Amino acid sequence: MIRIGVDTGGTFTDFVVLEGGHRRAFKIPSTPEEPERAILAGIAAAISGGVETGLKEVVHGTTVATNALLERKGARTALVTTEGFEDVLEIGRQARPEPYSLTGRGRDSRGVRDPLIPGPLRFGVQERVLADGRVHRSLSEDGLERLLERLRRARVESVAISLLFSFVNPEHEERVATRLGELGIPVSVSNRILPEYREYERVSTLAINAYLAPRMSRYLGRLADGLTDYGRGGRVGLRVMQSSGGSISAEVAAREPVRTILSGPAGGVVAATRIAKLAGISRLITFDMGGTSTDVAVCLGEAPTTSEAQVAGLPVAVPVLDIHTVGAGGGSIARVDEGQALRVGPESAGADPGPAAYGRGSLPTVTDANLILGRLAGGGLLNGGMVLDESRAREALQGLADRLSEVAGRRIGVVEAALGVVRIANANMERALRLVSVERGHDPRLFTLVGFGGSGGLHAVALAESLRIPQVLIPADPGAFSALGVLLADVVKDFSRTVMLPLEASGVGREVELAAAKGFADLERQAIEALRQEGFDSARMRLERFQAMRYRGQSYELLVPAAGNPVETFHRLHRERYGHANPARSSEIVSLRLRAIGITEKPPLRPARPRRAGSGLQPAGTSRVWLGRRSTVLPVYDRSSLHPGDEISRPAIIVEYGSTTLLPTGWGMVVDRYGNLIISRSAS
Amino acid sequence: MDSIKLEIFRSLFTSVAEEMGVSLRRTAFSPNIKERRDYSCAVFDREGRLIAQGDHMPVHLGSMPMSVRAAIESGPFAPGDVVVLNDPYAGGTHLPDVTMVSPVYSEGATQPLFYVANRAHHADIGGATPGSMGAATEIYQEGVRIPPVRLVRRGELVQDLWDLLLANVRGREEREGDFAAQLGAIRVGQLRLLEIVERYGRAETSLYAAHLFTYAERIMRRTLASIPDGDYEAIDYLDDDGESLQPVRIAARITIAGDRARIDFTGSSPQVAGPLNAVEAITVSAVFYVFRCLVDADVPAGAGLLSPLEVIAPPGTIVNALPPAAVAGGNVETSQRIVDVLLLALSRALPDRIPAASQGSMNNLTIGGWDTRLGQEFAYYETLAGGMGAGPASHGLSAVHSHMTNSLNTPVEALEYSYPLLVHRYQIRRHSGGLGRYRGGDGLIREIELLSPARLSLLSDRRQLAPYGLSGGEPGKCGLNRLRRPGRSFQTLPGKFSIEAEAGTRLCIETPGGGGFGPVVANIEERSNGDERS
Repeated sequence: MIRIGVDTGGTFTDFVVLEGGHRRAFKIPSTPEEPERAILAGIAAAISGGVETGLKEVVHGTTVATNALLERKGARTALVTTEGFEDVLEIGRQARPEPYSLTGRGRDSRGVRDPLIPGPLRFGVQERVLADGRVHRSLSEDGLERLLERLRRARVESVAISLLFSFVNPEHEERVATRLGELGIPVSVSNRILPEYREYERVSTLAINAYLAPRMSRYLGRLADGLTDYGRGGRVGLRVMQSSGGSISAEVAAREPVRTILSGPAGGVVAATRIAKLAGISRLITFDMGGTSTDVAVCLGEAPTTSEAQVAGLPVAVPVLDIHTVGAGGGSIARVDEGQALRVGPESAGADPGPAAYGRGSLPTVTDANLILGRLAGGGLLNGGMVLDESRAREALQGLADRLSEVAGRRIGVVEAALGVVRIANANMERALRLVSVERGHDPRLFTLVGFGGSGGLHAVALAESLRIPQVLIPADPGAFSALGVLLADVVKDFSRTVMLPLEASGVGREVELAAAKGFADLERQAIEALRQEGFDSARMRLERFQAMRYRGQSYELLVPAAGNPVETFHRLHRERYGHANPARSSEIVSLRLRAIGITEKPPLRPARPRRAGSGLQPAGTSRVWLGRRSTVLPVYDRSSLHPGDEISRPAIIVEYGSTTLLPTGWGMVVDRYGNLIISRSAS
Repeated sequence: MDSIKLEIFRSLFTSVAEEMGVSLRRTAFSPNIKERRDYSCAVFDREGRLIAQGDHMPVHLGSMPMSVRAAIESGPFAPGDVVVLNDPYAGGTHLPDVTMVSPVYSEGATQPLFYVANRAHHADIGGATPGSMGAATEIYQEGVRIPPVRLVRRGELVQDLWDLLLANVRGREEREGDFAAQLGAIRVGQLRLLEIVERYGRAETSLYAAHLFTYAERIMRRTLASIPDGDYEAIDYLDDDGESLQPVRIAARITIAGDRARIDFTGSSPQVAGPLNAVEAITVSAVFYVFRCLVDADVPAGAGLLSPLEVIAPPGTIVNALPPAAVAGGNVETSQRIVDVLLLALSRALPDRIPAASQGSMNNLTIGGWDTRLGQEFAYYETLAGGMGAGPASHGLSAVHSHMTNSLNTPVEALEYSYPLLVHRYQIRRHSGGLGRYRGGDGLIREIELLSPARLSLLSDRRQLAPYGLSGGEPGKCGLNRLRRPGRSFQTLPGKFSIEAEAGTRLCIETPGGGGFGPVVANIEERSNGDERS
């Protein structure tokens, strides 16, 4: 039986195919207007190889939700709120996107806040629940009837419901949901998707969900239909990567598409944590550098999640992997600004026109700089499937060099300019890496940097150098790493309940303990039912309990495992994170959180083949490379010729399908038993 | 100078300020700091010049350096000292804004290499009115006044001072937690700066701090050079000072000469009896904000931006008050009007760039008293957004904070959990923006009911004199404050008041709209679009 992981990117759609213990990866050009076309074409190609067995399952990392949101191509959606609060979605948190802009907008109108659902489609309903769950104003049947009528007239394709304090008492919201079921359109209900306080962040999340639901549902429907032929009579499973690092069934993803908003980058993070675990590494920083952006995350064993993410300027408060994205990639454009600083990005040449070297653009990019510096070794991508135009890249960088010379009052050549571009790009990415590591109290000297994506291998070691990260890991097939990640992901579903249980300084009292136990029991019942629906029996379920805790009066919680004495753990975590704690102050449990995991069948990550006796490690060629101001001739190795135990102790370039790795001065490399390149500072 | 290193250091210093902010927000206790983010964190060079600041509260931008200067002048520092201050007449702005300043020494050094500072607006700092933002005629009524004094001496908390401060404020426990969060953020800033020094060396780090200063200066000079030379004047008024009904005049003359500018406030009203007086730091902040908005680049918030600007604020006037004038509203209301005046003057020089007036108020609401539900004191502070002025090419944004503030709101679900208050409405005030070719943004409506008896104070403006339109655009609607006591009907209240109210009282605030830009033209297509906002 065949299982396939698919990751749709802006330029390429990546596939990892598992069949009878074998694993292969390939890329084909994406079809952004109908992403399923590239996917189905790739699957057809993967299956047609004379194989008799059927396709069992496809796991998918998708940017359909993200792109529909970015491009505002969602459904005509209505919103139902408590009367008097219809505008919360539009008011937001009252802040303007750019404080130092006379229009409040950024240049080129970045951050213009058209609400996702316009005023005429936002409906108030007479009802009110208080902070303690008591009903202040009851919901009448007449009111529901009128609401239903107004919604019928509005001719919407989807509806979101988010009433005040529904996370404390969901009764009104559920009654509204039941009634609106008569409309026969997708209904997104806040207490089911995000039962947590802060009305704007919740309503924003729900609005996004409702806005995306019809489109996502149609897309996944088309994809599932296209897959049925490959099942050889059996049903082909379709699962979708969600932003929190687990996968969910296509049915759930169609209903709750907001959970897939960072589906794309999540796969890479999951793959990195699994590969690193096999390699015996528990502290890692992932570094996924693509064409337009770079995604970084710190993982201590598992990848951490956050509920404060923003996508397209809108808050998404369901858990997403705590991935920080910076607008720096191979396609980032370099220029000198009016204050005479060299800037790289966030503007990107994208896939079209692409870097100057791709033959259509003329602005210098990071990829052009790498090419001029000889770091792409020979100037081809995808095993010669794509040829680069070096003279065009040189021309683009010459313009930049002239401008830099004017500023400096001395001559700056193309190579020096290219080195500058790479350094600034590195500085931007370094800032992103610092933000997730040092700024959150993690010492990079204790971490391994896992580099992947098309450009990850070129920059990873330089970044490790400036952050004093002692070790870098470049996995096999770094260019299709996210597609591998989606196959490695378990099914993960998060459940939470706001409880607001006060704690004494000394510890958890009997009453609170009982309340928490009861809350967790309820959540577990829901979780087990949900996992059953996804097709897991109890042997393949794992449930993890956490409590979100804070000092009474704070607004931000720390996630504390619900075991031992959580009060003590909380004080310790607070001190670790912020440098101070006050054990005399009382704390509280804000919410109970349950993570339900359905354990999936994983692709075997087997040791790589050892080198045949007698054959030695030989470079495939050489390249003249500038590592600093002087060039040197470096050996170029073909990654497929490397085997476990191979070592390279001098600067070199390693090329492979979809990626290039630069091993600079002062670093050495060994291939581990899984075929990963383990790069570390040379002993000297 | 190396353009590449300049960019690297710019990122590094900015990230120090940002990280201090994250720590402060996540560990603070009062909704005003943790939810509304009414704070700023900043890094200063060895001479006390601003080199980076977490960037969301313009009103803090120009005034933080004065706090650092006052702290430096308060006596020699030792490693591990933290100075605290809020005295508007010695480096502060208004009393609720408490600033902490600390030197950063590299190992073995005898002189500080940097300073870090943070400022947070506390929901109460004592004085006659809960929330410390009420009517007053002298600073002594506005709260506890803290000159630059050492709260931490060589790493040891000065317990006597700590106890004295906490004995003078309402909501002691919340205040104590917020002060601790500010101290924690100071430590975070120190550690991060020392890491940078360790990595790049003392010499290079301070060299590039200096380069950043000149970088910002260069950018400002270019911006000024692009404005036509000349004298540009304007006058605008605050409705009143809350004590009398007299409008308060603010006059400005901006002289652009090459790559320099002089901003002269001669002709502004003498300082007033009510709490609307601005100290000089506020006026400088407003100037700083306006000119930074003119810079067409993503520039770091450094002191270099200010160096080509000369500010003349005559002492004893509304824009440079002398003690013991009351100042609570100078920071939040007068600062907004100073911006309106400066922009109006600049509109004569740059008619294609300057927008019409925004709401021109922060609508400062403070409610304090005894929470009968929890059996404890409470003090709630909130500012309300309004309409932004339309620009020469765009409609004004609705229901956002404008100009000198960009704090967030307190979520209704956080507010009702923390305080004995019930919010009935929180809506956009449709059609309150001024008409014009481009429409001013709309204000908002917020209606709150007291669940415990409390003292209600409001400092708001643009209730009498509307936000101006430009180039033929109409003014935005004035704001409106109304109150309904239990069993009575709504009554209109003035822009500034402080009253005792029983449980069941409802306050409804409608905030001003922004001014329109350009004459109204019939544009059926646009009107029929349904969506008021664009």
